[in-house]
Amino acid sequence: MGVAPVPAGDAFTARQQDDVARSIRIAGQQAHLPVSVYVGALEGDSRSSAQQLHAALGAEAARSVLVAVDPASRRIEIVTGTEAHRRLDDRAAGLAALTMTTAFQAGDLAGGISSGVLALAEHARTPPSLHTDQP
Amino acid sequence: MPSVTALGALHALGSANNYDDGQQPGPGLSLLQTLLIYVGIPALVFAVIWVLVAASSSSRGPRYRPGVGWWSAPVWFNGPAEPDAVVGALGRPAPDSSGNTVRGGGASARW
Repeated sequence: MGVAPVPAGDAFTARQQDDVARSIRIAGQQAHLPVSVYVGALEGDSRSSAQQLHAALGAEAARSVLVAVDPASRRIEIVTGTEAHRRLDDRAAGLAALTMTTAFQAGDLAGGISSGVLALAEHARTPPSLHTDQP
Repeated sequence: MPSVTALGALHALGSANNYDDGQQPGPGLSLLQTLLIYVGIPALVFAVIWVLVAASSSSRGPRYRPGVGWWSAPVWFNGPAEPDAVVGALGRPAPDSSGNTVRGGGASARW
């Protein structure tokens, strides 16, 4: 094959992990959008697998966005919870997915994830404030 | 007349060895020296550049290449406390207990 397989546990270097973690942190702090990124196999139906992963986020699931990347079958699934979907419509999620696929095609897995998460954070609308204290 | 013959002799001398004033021919290059200079030094430069390129790419470790596959264990950033149980249950039809996910949205893409 000529190309060494990526050994287990070495999917990302420490620096790449830092990059992904930083973009997730930026999304959480600046856009108040909790983003979870899963990189691994999505067995069976990739969409329902990603939804299982998203449901596993528990109480945070409604507010969260799950980005599931399966490098083996070359699929991206972005799952938004009910509250997150109000702030991030499917078109914005599709744009972020497009950002990621562009980088993935060039072999840049960590960079694509980072920029995709940042794209999600950029498109997340701020929730409308309810001025319940005003008449 | 003798001056003309002297000039001709001088000219003949000059064209015989073709050297300018003050020019002193060296001993010439041996075969080994020629090979070292014209083959060895370029090969050395080539090797140094190759080592520099290979070192910078091998220090980053193996990288993902599209179409080659993926053997690595799953990674979950900002995931739940026990990701292994969830990842192990993937592929099996699980009852979707929390309705949070299904009513949301999202996007799918392939590359």
